[in-house]
Amino acid sequence: MVDHILSILIFFPALAGMFGFMINKDSIRAYGVAVGVIEFALSLLLWFWFDGGVAGMQFMEQIPLLPSFGINYILGVDGISLFIIVLSAFITMIGIASLTETPNVKNMIVTLLFLQMTMVGVFSALDGIVFYVFWELSLVPMLYIIGAWGGPLRIYASIKFFLYTFAGSLVMLVGMLFMAYFYYQATGEWSFAILDWYRLILPENLQLWLFLAFFLGFAIKVPMFPFHTWLPYAHGQAPTIGSVILAAILLKMGTYAFIRFSLPMFPDASVALMTPIAIIAIIMIIYTAMVAFAQKDVKQVVAYSSISHMGVIIIGTFALNVEGISGSVFLMIAHGVVSGALFLLVGVIYDRRHTKLMSEFGGLAHVMPRYATIFGLMLMASVGLPLTINFVGEFLSLLGFYQQSHILTLLAGTAIIVGAIYMLAAYKKMFFGDVTKEENKNLPDVNKRELLALIPLSIITIWLGIYPKPVLEPINKSAEAIVQLMHDKSITDEAKMRIPSPLNKAQTSQTSSEGAH
Amino acid sequence: MEIYLYLALFSPLVGSLFAALFTTKSKTLVAGVVPSLLLFTSFVSSSILLVHILNGGAPVHVEMMTWMATGDLYIPFGFVVDQVSVTMMMVVTIVSTVVHVYSIGYMDHDKSFNRFFAWLSAFVFSMLILVMSDNYAGLFIGWEGVGLCSWGLIGFWFHKESASWAANEAFIMNRIADLGMLIGIFLVYWNTGSLQYDHVFEAFKGLDVDTLALIGIFLFIGAMGKSAQFPLHTWLADAMEGPTPVSALIHAATMVTAGVYLVVRSNELYSLIPEIGLFIASLGAFVAIFAASMALVNRDMKRIIAYSTLSQLGYMFAAAGLGAYWVALFHLMAHAFFKALLFLGAGNVMHAMHDELDPFKMGGLGKTMKATMVMMTLASVALAGLFPLAGFFSKDAILEAAFVEHHYVIYSVLLFTAGLTAFYSFRLVALIFHGEERYTLFGIHPHEAYKFMLVAMSPLLLLAIIAGSLKMTYFEMVTAILPDIEYHIHSHVTFWIMTIGTQLFVVIAILYAYKKYTTIGMNVPDGTSETENTFMYKLLKNQYYIPYAYDEYIVKPYTKLSALFWTEIDQKVVDATVDGIAGVIYDSGEQTRDMQDGNLSTMLRWMVIGTIALLILAVMFGLTARYAHVLG
Repeated sequence: MVDHILSILIFFPALAGMFGFMINKDSIRAYGVAVGVIEFALSLLLWFWFDGGVAGMQFMEQIPLLPSFGINYILGVDGISLFIIVLSAFITMIGIASLTETPNVKNMIVTLLFLQMTMVGVFSALDGIVFYVFWELSLVPMLYIIGAWGGPLRIYASIKFFLYTFAGSLVMLVGMLFMAYFYYQATGEWSFAILDWYRLILPENLQLWLFLAFFLGFAIKVPMFPFHTWLPYAHGQAPTIGSVILAAILLKMGTYAFIRFSLPMFPDASVALMTPIAIIAIIMIIYTAMVAFAQKDVKQVVAYSSISHMGVIIIGTFALNVEGISGSVFLMIAHGVVSGALFLLVGVIYDRRHTKLMSEFGGLAHVMPRYATIFGLMLMASVGLPLTINFVGEFLSLLGFYQQSHILTLLAGTAIIVGAIYMLAAYKKMFFGDVTKEENKNLPDVNKRELLALIPLSIITIWLGIYPKPVLEPINKSAEAIVQLMHDKSITDEAKMRIPSPLNKAQTSQTSSEGAH
Repeated sequence: MEIYLYLALFSPLVGSLFAALFTTKSKTLVAGVVPSLLLFTSFVSSSILLVHILNGGAPVHVEMMTWMATGDLYIPFGFVVDQVSVTMMMVVTIVSTVVHVYSIGYMDHDKSFNRFFAWLSAFVFSMLILVMSDNYAGLFIGWEGVGLCSWGLIGFWFHKESASWAANEAFIMNRIADLGMLIGIFLVYWNTGSLQYDHVFEAFKGLDVDTLALIGIFLFIGAMGKSAQFPLHTWLADAMEGPTPVSALIHAATMVTAGVYLVVRSNELYSLIPEIGLFIASLGAFVAIFAASMALVNRDMKRIIAYSTLSQLGYMFAAAGLGAYWVALFHLMAHAFFKALLFLGAGNVMHAMHDELDPFKMGGLGKTMKATMVMMTLASVALAGLFPLAGFFSKDAILEAAFVEHHYVIYSVLLFTAGLTAFYSFRLVALIFHGEERYTLFGIHPHEAYKFMLVAMSPLLLLAIIAGSLKMTYFEMVTAILPDIEYHIHSHVTFWIMTIGTQLFVVIAILYAYKKYTTIGMNVPDGTSETENTFMYKLLKNQYYIPYAYDEYIVKPYTKLSALFWTEIDQKVVDATVDGIAGVIYDSGEQTRDMQDGNLSTMLRWMVIGTIALLILAVMFGLTARYAHVLG
């Protein structure tokens, strides 16, 4: 089982989903929860078996598919993908468990299980084509969730979401074909294996073109400014569960792919394009935070805040040092937990009042104190208060980027100000003041089923904020390996200088600390 | 000793969590008593640690566990009790124990009694983290933690629009400064490879002055936010929306002094960059007089005391900036005692007057509230810096330091401000406790506060009186790690002239204020008198129009720009482009569908066009291939 744990993790939910069609409608919820729990337990097992001291890929599986074209079914995890896999199992489990009254609940649960297959697949694929297949397949269940259970504009939103991200991924596919072709030119053999691609040293101008091809696919997924406009529609129309998974996991595919593909494959291009990308990220941080401040609908506030936080993740990724990359991976997990919780919280009030307009609320802290407390905690995590999970990621991302540019970090650091502005304003509108609307006077506080989802998320938010080590350590190990790889294979002088070798640095700091003693 | 460190640090946390259990329930006395007892435990532990340090014991240093470690970065949860942090711990635990006990009475009738204690104890915990951490990242935890608790407590009565507004203002303004602090921390890390104080301070000695200056500036920006220095000062006065015990603890005695603590803690950095120090001192002196001037005309009791706090923080920064770190810390301590006392007294008055804040509607309260009157008067005497109360020793030391260091401008500003301080303090005392009983017009029957509240206040009174005499013991203790410069004026004649001159100046200011505001038939400002229409008076009354300017030139444009970004740019430019591209593709499909309408003659026509196009292409390719060598 140890050897095939990744395949099991991928295909168990899909298989269970297929059986799900045969389950009686009344017991489908219990069935879904059970599958979710088993899947989560399996992912914990993966974590348990994972050797934190190893930087490279673990649990590798390889089955030839089209060997003559170098297309193989290759899986593996390292510290970077491990926790995103655990997180997707966790969020799916929580999502199914907290699912509210939904029409066609059976279809919903089956869809979610299929979605889970594609998510785990993306994060464990080590072959370009397998990655691409899961990447694109993940669009289908999401399209269905938005299109079938969404709000009034659901068709427009779901088609926009699908076509936009699909168009981007096609360009990425072309990039992949080129990579395989270059590998063929260099070695005489075709290969789509990502680890093979890592070994390829490409000239700088080629790197730039390929980087841009991959970039388009990733940037739309993240989504980066100015490719972000599909996101507010998707969130605005999607049911709560759709938003939770979209924000918590699907967006991470883009940022994860940057670290898995762009950085190690194109180190020189990454250095060359660092500044423009950082500027885009800063626009994401400030501009979308301001747009979030202008929103009237609380769900849109959270949606835009996601884009703003993704900007910080991008900044951390393109810090190109261990601190920054570890920080950005950690922030992916953190943002998954916190934005997932925030969307669930928005869902709680939407279920009660069937509106998300903040002007409809006010004074909710009087009537729903528990809800206000959990919302407050998640608000503070989102704002990046120390000892919450977000702070660790945000702090490390910005700290890392400071090595590359002082001014840009200062600008990106405004995230902690603008984030506080829109979040506190939204909280004030919803929870403070007197209860003015008659409908709000007797709202029931969060119920048991909602707490079932929210309390674990709250615990993780604080636990990993105080003690991030269990997660940060494996991430750090793999981030070191990536930075080392980038340093070694970079060809331009600038890249060699910009990407510090963790190995050398460890040695120098060791000698300096010895000198200090 | 480690056990006492942990006891001192974590007791308030336990208290806070305990009270938090009751937050959704109605008032439970135990939710106030248990945190208070735990705070007392924390106070006792701190005292034991103080005795340990006073007896020449080594600083207690513990490393509890790793917080963050990645790359070369290593940040533990490490705590250190040395001469500086133990001073702060004493201040924090004494004032907070008093305030806790006092609050049991003060918040007696509040329905959110339990929630209040949860926040208040959480604040103390954060403050202790701030002062006890052995590294900048730990300090930042406390730094943000106190900001959070301050948010929760300013906005405690969140049903009031003004309270939740002030809470958000305080949080956001602090966040602006925190960015500076964060950048300072990044600079420290990338230049020294660590955030631990001992390692960092050692490494500073090898850095060039420009880098150090940059670090000094950014860390000080952080300090400016928490300590409400100009231009980030407006939140402090608005923070008076919170319950009065909160103002006493957070916005007078502890949190606002965090900035001073940061500068004192980083003294090894600031000693290396005296130019930045001079800037800090000048800004401090400016804030001292700037805030005092606003207190002169204000008609809100709590705001007057808040401006006074601001002004005294200016004194502390003036001292710290000039390198007199121990003096700054000493004034911080003395100020904490008498200012907290003053605020708690104001709380008693507010209770008596049914939350009335305008001292012009009071008067003659001394008859019914004798104990409060005595306490507030003594606190004001201490604040004014009269011998032999605490303020005399600490403030005099600051003036002497400025004089000895030959910064005569700073000296004169601070001296003049001392007069202003005396004036506004006794204006307040006179208006509240003496003169006509103006409150009778409003049908209020004032009463003295609960006995135990007065008893709870008495330790502060005692300390406000005697703290000055502890000066030498204190000096010997902290100078073990702070620069031990004694500021002695060499000529005895100058010394006596200065001291007596200052005292006389202060006494005259007091008498003038007392006389002006106790006369029968005194003019209550109503906007008609001549003085009230002078430019200067209006300027002061409107706080130099700074809050107005912030609202007009920052808040409103930001709101407008945000709305503009959303409707005009995000929807009409970015998204419209996306939809436009999709539209073009869709339209081109619509347009070209006629090509495939199944009509044979149209299809034949397109076939001919296609053949010709292909032929042209073939010929062109052929020609280019044929003549490639010529062209190339």
